[in-house]
Amino acid sequence: MIIQVKNLEKYYRTDEVQTIALNKLSFEVKEGEFVAIMGPSGCGKSTLLNIVGLLDEVDAGSFVFKGQEVAHYSERQRARLRKHNIGFVFQSFNLIDELTVYENVELPLIYTGVKPSQRRLQVEAVLEKMQITHRRNHFPQQLSGGQQQRVAVARAVVHNPKLILADEPTGNLDSSNGNEVMQLLTELNKAGTTIIMVTHSEHDAQYSHRVIRMLDGHKVTENIMA
Amino acid sequence: MIRNYFIIAWRNLSRNKVYSLINILGLAIGMAVTMLIGLWIYDEITYNDYFTKSERIAQVYQTQTFNGKKGTGPAIPRPLEAAMREDYGNNFNHIVMSSWQQTYYLQNGDKNLRRDGHAWQNGAIDMFGFEIIKGDRNGLEDPNSIMLSENTAEELFGDADPIGKVIKVNSEHDMMVTAIFRNIPENNTFDEVEFMVPWQHYADTNEWIANALQHWGNNSFQMFVEIKEGKTMEEVSQLIGPVKYEKAEGEKEYDPVMFLHPMKDWYLRGDFENGENIGGRIENLWLFGTIGLFVLLLACINFMNLSTARSEKRAKEVGIRKTLGSERPQLVRQFLAESLFIVMLSYLLAMIMVQLSIPSFNELSGKTVEIPWGEPVFWICCLSFILITAFLAGSYPALYLSSFNPVTVLKGTFKAGRYASLPRKVLVVTQFSISVALIIGTLVVMKQIDHSKNRPVGYNKEGLIQIPVFSKDFEGKYDLMHEAFLRSGGAVAMSGSMSPVTSVWSNRSGWTWEGKQEGFQEDFAWVEVTHEYPSSMGLIFTDGRDFSREFASDSNAVILNETAVRYMGIKDPVGKLIRDEDTGEEAQEPMKIIGVVKDMVMQSAYKPVKQTLFVFSKEGNINYYNLRLNPEKSVKENLELIEQTFKTHFPALPFQFEFVDENYALKFRAEERIASLAAVFTVLAIFISCLGLFGLASFVAEQRTKEIGIRKVLGASVSNLWLMLSREFLLLVMLSLLIAIPIAYYIMQNWITKFDYRTNISWWIFISAGLGAIFLTIFTISFQAVRAASGNPVKSLRDE
Repeated sequence: MIIQVKNLEKYYRTDEVQTIALNKLSFEVKEGEFVAIMGPSGCGKSTLLNIVGLLDEVDAGSFVFKGQEVAHYSERQRARLRKHNIGFVFQSFNLIDELTVYENVELPLIYTGVKPSQRRLQVEAVLEKMQITHRRNHFPQQLSGGQQQRVAVARAVVHNPKLILADEPTGNLDSSNGNEVMQLLTELNKAGTTIIMVTHSEHDAQYSHRVIRMLDGHKVTENIMA
Repeated sequence: MIRNYFIIAWRNLSRNKVYSLINILGLAIGMAVTMLIGLWIYDEITYNDYFTKSERIAQVYQTQTFNGKKGTGPAIPRPLEAAMREDYGNNFNHIVMSSWQQTYYLQNGDKNLRRDGHAWQNGAIDMFGFEIIKGDRNGLEDPNSIMLSENTAEELFGDADPIGKVIKVNSEHDMMVTAIFRNIPENNTFDEVEFMVPWQHYADTNEWIANALQHWGNNSFQMFVEIKEGKTMEEVSQLIGPVKYEKAEGEKEYDPVMFLHPMKDWYLRGDFENGENIGGRIENLWLFGTIGLFVLLLACINFMNLSTARSEKRAKEVGIRKTLGSERPQLVRQFLAESLFIVMLSYLLAMIMVQLSIPSFNELSGKTVEIPWGEPVFWICCLSFILITAFLAGSYPALYLSSFNPVTVLKGTFKAGRYASLPRKVLVVTQFSISVALIIGTLVVMKQIDHSKNRPVGYNKEGLIQIPVFSKDFEGKYDLMHEAFLRSGGAVAMSGSMSPVTSVWSNRSGWTWEGKQEGFQEDFAWVEVTHEYPSSMGLIFTDGRDFSREFASDSNAVILNETAVRYMGIKDPVGKLIRDEDTGEEAQEPMKIIGVVKDMVMQSAYKPVKQTLFVFSKEGNINYYNLRLNPEKSVKENLELIEQTFKTHFPALPFQFEFVDENYALKFRAEERIASLAAVFTVLAIFISCLGLFGLASFVAEQRTKEIGIRKVLGASVSNLWLMLSREFLLLVMLSLLIAIPIAYYIMQNWITKFDYRTNISWWIFISAGLGAIFLTIFTISFQAVRAASGNPVKSLRDE
């Protein structure tokens, strides 16, 4: 089991109001699984993804990542765990505009302390795999949306993480580019990477093994895909 | 990683050219100012570094008490030498008696030069470490020897070997050149010394010096010492403290205390008040050091403000980096590396600015500083300076930017909070408070200098020249020259005096008069003059009459200034006598007061005029001819006529003269230099602040583009929008005024009390500083505000 979440709670507070984003949510993800999380806007999908991605803190409940209870980890501990184990793919790509394709993809390797010569090998390999080697010296704004998302996926996988978290990865893409990205994710999953994907798209959800549906911070249903 | 930081920094810089320019230019100016000030300070603190034994060299000083008030100075009596050698000699490697700086005529054949130098004992050569490049190191032991600087030797002898040659000194003494010393470089106490003559020669050829050998009350000499290794200045000072008190019976009433004034303090800590050292030039070091730091701080504030103002643009990157596993310290390092990068670029620009501005800076400051490229300490300082600046400018933005929560920023909902701009506002207020305080400070300094310059001097200094007449050739020729100069038509009046018009060379005590209070310890400025002095100077008589050749008794006449009358507490002074307290054989004849003149400013223009006795010079003790130029002729014509006359009578002597008004202006030179430098730095400080304001205004205008568009659609005019955008900055600047004005008033009020003759701090200074700051603010931000307000609302709304 890579992820075990039990009675997870998360609140957002503004000056006077407290909103419950996750309400006693429990679920598990096995290693090598491809799980899609669906639900209407505001149901807590992204919050869940941020917590699972160790970006956000938990207010209550248990979160076991690779056998370790991490619910009360400090920001520093979470950052260390995150950089070695998790890759992110966002709807809006979130590439750094001031860095080239190559440099964007290289970034996770820098943070995990990989030596430059090794970095070069890994980056070149993943660029080739994503078929964007010819764009290696371009800046994000010089690429199409599909190309940018490929770069984002390349960046997410370059350091071989155990888990990829994808937040509506095709949300900003046309269907053809969207399908390409889903193909990429599926291939990565087949190669052994666990994937959790938040999506509004039933079409994209079909690529997953299991769909968790949420409403108001609860898990409503859980369907195994055919 | 580092490479990655610098890549990002460089790309951010090149993509945001206006911000980059503001940042780099502002920092470069700030750093250039700080570097120039650093060079200036370095030059000041290395004054006298030429002397390798400077840690152990001192000058003997004396504190005496007159009427309960302590006065301190370097003038010591001649018998001190013997007492020091006999009783305390084992504390010193050298005890050197010295004259004050002397101006001599040095003649070899038809070459006659007027040069400055010293008469001192032979130990001076070893003590001060003068480099003898030719001849005998002990060359001052023979009383008829002279040592010349390389330059002087070359001017007198050309390529010929000067050693062993005899030159005529002051047209009177034949002296043999025994050594040539290496030219003394600038920036030390003796950098004007072009010749050295033996103390013995000086003492033997001046009767008054010979007479002073047993006279403890005649403080007319200097003494330099080198203490032995292992001794401290303090302990030796303690030892020699009572020497004069113990030896000089007649001086006990003045409670003389001798002490060592260490060479390292001569230049920077040369002022004494009530027997205590109260600093001196060191104050200017603090002043400029503070200005330098403030200017640098202003530039760093710009960097901080612009970096944090643009935080929303950098937020996404922070979020992504954190998501990818960057820890906060890594981000802090990244932003610090960025500021280091920008500071390094600014430093390069600053170095260019410094190199280019050094000639003007030297002219303004009266220095000859240069960048010490070859000194390792310079590079260490530069490196530290870069690191400190980068840290100062970069630490707040680094901490602020690295604190962003990745979840919020990547959601795209990040907006800096309501109070996010508060630190920026505080920094802008700090910046303008400093700038306004600098403006006020500079205005007060300038007003004080102006006030002193316009002080009534009590005589007419325009069209007046003085000719130094130190040479024996002039002896007994005053009347002849007086007639000759007047006849030449180049001068309408002439007088002779012992001191130059803008200085007093002698002080005397030991006088009594009718009504003098018991125990009153008098001390007068003593100026020996010829009959024509008051009239040629244009002194204004308030009582009595001028000297007159018609009264033979005027050889014992004295004219007082008004301060002397008050000081002596004498009523109806004219006709009264001033007598020598000494009633023995050597007593001077009584002097009859024949007139009182308005105070004549001869010494410091910042201090009250000292009680002065203008005494008729019976013994021809004349060192200067003072000539009033003929107002009906041009200055050039007058000078030609005077020179012709001079050359007719003294063909072998160089004709040299000084304009009295120029000499008087020299009294303000140090303060004027300080004021000019402060003014330049203030202008640059204001420029840096405005640069920052300009950047912030453009940021605010950019941030509020949508709001401006909506307001325009709803009917707002350009002036409405201008006011909206400008109001906040104006309020901040006004707040700065409220902070700066009382602080500046307090500091400058304190500063100005050090001048006895001082101006008041007028209200207009604050009004003009305030209006100036407000005007500059409006000017700076209006450009951005009007540009934003005149934009097409359709475009700005579509952009959204």
